[in-house]
Amino acid sequence: MRSFQPFSQQGFARILAETRTHFPLSPGLISIEQLKSIDGYSAFFNFPFPPTYSDMEINEYSLEWNLPEKKKDKALFTSFTLSSQPFYPSYISCNISSDDFTNYVETFISLPEQHKQIFTLPLSWIDSPFIDEVIKKDVSLIVLTGLPSLFNNQRKLTEALVSIRTKLPPDIALYLPGHISPEIYSFLVYTGIDFFDNSIAYFTSKKGYFLTSKGTFSLQNHPSCYCKDCMSSPPNIFGHNEMILKNNLAEIRFALNSGTLRSLVEQDIHNSVTFAAALRQIDRNYSSAFRLRTPVLSSSPIKCIGEESLFRPEITEFRERVKNRFVPDSNSKIIVLLPCSARKPYSFSRSHMFFRKAVKEGIGKFRSILSELIITSPLAVVPRELESIYPAKSYDIPVAGLWNNEEIEVTSSLLLEILSKYSSDTTIINHTYGEGYSNIIETIRTEIPNRILSTSQESSPTSNESLSNLTLALKEIVSDSQNVQIQGRPTIMKHLQAVADYQFGRGVGKKLFSGIIKIKGKYPRDRQIFREKEHIANLRSTDGFLTILPQHAQEIVSLSYNNLEFGDERVSGSNIYAPGCLNADKRIHPNDDILVVFNNQVIATGTAVVSGEDMNNMTSGILARVKKKHKVKK
Amino acid sequence: MKINKSLAEEILKIRESTLPTRKHSRKVTHWKENHRLRSGEGEALVFILPTKGCSWALAKSGGCSICGYIYDNPQESNFDMIVSSIKNTLRRTIEEGKFSIKVFTSGSFLDERELPLEIQTSIIQEIAKYDQIEEVVLESRPEYITDKILQNLAKNIEMSKIEIAIGLESANNRILKNSINKGFFWEDFEKSAIRVLSSGAKVKPYLLFKPPFVSEYDSIKDVLQSVSKVVSLGIDTVSINAMSIHRGTLLSEVFEEKLYRSPWLWSLHVICKEIKQKYPEIRIICDIVAGGKERGAHNCGTCDSEIIRKIQKFTLTQNIDELEEEMLCNCKEEWKSFLVLEKINISDYLHVPYLEK
Ligand code: SF4
Ligand SMILES: [Zn+2]
Repeated sequence: MRSFQPFSQQGFARILAETRTHFPLSPGLISIEQLKSIDGYSAFFNFPFPPTYSDMEINEYSLEWNLPEKKKDKALFTSFTLSSQPFYPSYISCNISSDDFTNYVETFISLPEQHKQIFTLPLSWIDSPFIDEVIKKDVSLIVLTGLPSLFNNQRKLTEALVSIRTKLPPDIALYLPGHISPEIYSFLVYTGIDFFDNSIAYFTSKKGYFLTSKGTFSLQNHPSCYCKDCMSSPPNIFGHNEMILKNNLAEIRFALNSGTLRSLVEQDIHNSVTFAAALRQIDRNYSSAFRLRTPVLSSSPIKCIGEESLFRPEITEFRERVKNRFVPDSNSKIIVLLPCSARKPYSFSRSHMFFRKAVKEGIGKFRSILSELIITSPLAVVPRELESIYPAKSYDIPVAGLWNNEEIEVTSSLLLEILSKYSSDTTIINHTYGEGYSNIIETIRTEIPNRILSTSQESSPTSNESLSNLTLALKEIVSDSQNVQIQGRPTIMKHLQAVADYQFGRGVGKKLFSGIIKIKGKYPRDRQIFREKEHIANLRSTDGFLTILPQHAQEIVSLSYNNLEFGDERVSGSNIYAPGCLNADKRIHPNDDILVVFNNQVIATGTAVVSGEDMNNMTSGILARVKKKHKVKK
Repeated sequence: MKINKSLAEEILKIRESTLPTRKHSRKVTHWKENHRLRSGEGEALVFILPTKGCSWALAKSGGCSICGYIYDNPQESNFDMIVSSIKNTLRRTIEEGKFSIKVFTSGSFLDERELPLEIQTSIIQEIAKYDQIEEVVLESRPEYITDKILQNLAKNIEMSKIEIAIGLESANNRILKNSINKGFFWEDFEKSAIRVLSSGAKVKPYLLFKPPFVSEYDSIKDVLQSVSKVVSLGIDTVSINAMSIHRGTLLSEVFEEKLYRSPWLWSLHVICKEIKQKYPEIRIICDIVAGGKERGAHNCGTCDSEIIRKIQKFTLTQNIDELEEEMLCNCKEEWKSFLVLEKINISDYLHVPYLEK
């Protein structure tokens, strides 16, 4: 059994808690010695100092976890021993030789169980098949050596980080020892490092550096600080530097808990060209590894500050799902392209209220043949049906209307994908204004056969002129009798179906929400969804997603992408543990609503703690929380 | 196997490319220094003989990973010159008082390939003429300490005056084999040491503090370990040699790759104190070569000379009080963190890439 349990995954970052007590320890700081106060530290090294005469073979190093006194009895481990280390290096270069490494691994594997918690992994051996052997053991902490030599090579750095983290199950902690600057903690946590140490505080204090969360300064010239250590005379530089490390990690833990880590990373990397480039590398080249581990269901606001926001995982995931899962009503005859608004959901904004009024006037009772697509960066295209789910309802951009080439490219390509889902006789009304938007329209115009009308070419979309253009254009289309003989699905049904497809997989919406659908209840309460008078699901007001009642979850089991196959016909307790899981769908994201399935029967619904991919890699710990259990009728 | 093949090959490569630079002829050098004799403080007269050098360093296995003495040795020796030079120097230098004579060859005095038996004999006979000389220190690898050699010594000098210094470096065979390429094991040392002791002579093992590929923390431990093993044989003197980096060695390359930091003086301080506390009767010699320099034992630069002075004083007086007095420098904290960090992460600790951009 491993000593850590992962919670709150975001990319490769996660909270690691002590397995039994669930006391959170990572992302955290390790003190290299037992200080007078270990507040703010996750652990400290405890070793005889100075070294003694005792037997060379026994290693007395231990890592003591900083658990509260009253939790210590219940904890699986309160300390690890650092039992064995690789004998570095081969005699030729700084790389450890294969014989030496093999030797080390063999020694490690032969150690008694309680000495197998810490394994030292030199970077150059990441791809060794031996690592798999080690992972099979109950090792809980891996000390990663050699990484800082890649800090000036973003390509190799990201490659190394991703390859090690993909290899390791999420319940194995990674400790990066050495002088690591606190400004890059958030980036490293995001890419899977769990622990740092305070050695840089010793080093910087001695060498005359003053740390701040924004960078390192010389002692002669640095921003003032009014902390206790700085105000004492003489100032206690070590105390100050140590505090910066602790505070930085506290901020990261807070961001992880509130789902805003990615925004913090984007802020922090702006200080470093290399790490900004590294994040871009990750978003471009390792997008899926990070997306899979990023919650799709969330309610934390997304602050899009820079270019890196265009490819952040939740945004890319949104575009991917819209592309792959969104199915427009086959009877849609008109598509209106609209600009976004600062206020979310868009419908609540002034501009969209104007649009609604103009549309209503123009389309009258034929509303069901109309589709609305909101063009926006960085999400690209938000179908009206999905405007009230995360992240569409909770992103923020500093300036609207200025589009760079990359945004134009991403947006037009998604728009094309979506438009091609409609029949070619659907008329497109472009009700957007400005250079960026018109660039997008021009890009797609040549690619599709549809007729495109522009109603806001001359002035802003909310101007009286544009609004009446919109009304007129719609009137003209519906007056053409061909279009109005058909009926589309009602708005509410479109909305529920789109959300269900987005959340559980393509086709789930149609399966679940057909026939007579009614919604009851008012914001801020969750709304209840009735099908043919039967309560089948709830629409959550927190994140705009669905909770499907377990007895109806069975209907979608063959379509759902969120299934966890369980090894028993009954779930006991309120958690699903790793040993009970036979297989989890790799498309499950942390926080997802999942179906717990035994023999094709849904036996419970739950909430994923980690991604499906990671569920399959864990051997102990909680994979999901049970929401509701369902008794299978025999 | 007492040799790690890949280590030996690597050393040999470096050796072969550096050997052509060795010098061709040299005189006997000598100097006088203060010295702690068994009977108390006195003086030492040190000779360095220009022999052809250590046979181990010239062997196919490349010699020790840390040793570049061989580059100072000539390829041929003029033995008559050596003997007469010693004779003259002794006559001019030995006065009243007590003396220790150290005859070093940067190899093994007792190796007949370096110094033929009759030359060894003549040198010893010269020394034996002086009563003021209480101790004669000769260096040798264990394999040259044969009964025949010892008997020859005994014929020419009182054996109790003889002290044979053996570069044991560590009592741990893994370190001998994988870090130093010493070519012998603890057991070989043990046999030779017992042979010397039973001949009535003394043994002075050299212990190497911080060979390559061993963390400083582990090396402190190793020195302490080695001391207790050595003491158990009945040896009464140990010489602790903090690593100094010789050019043309494997260690030097490792150092240049920034994978090695020469030992801290704080560690030496701790080692001397620990040994003296546990074995008060043992004579501890800790001469620091290149102290305070990058390639020798050093601290932060501020406190180096003070701590070196204390250790020197301690070596001379064997009085632990010289070490007890609390010394304060803020690099002491850095040293502690270094020890832990280096141990956890032996290859990374010298890189501070992000900070020093
Ligand atoms: S350390 Fe001694 S044995 Fe080793 S090569 Fe040098 S002189 Fe020879
Ligand atoms: Zn401060």
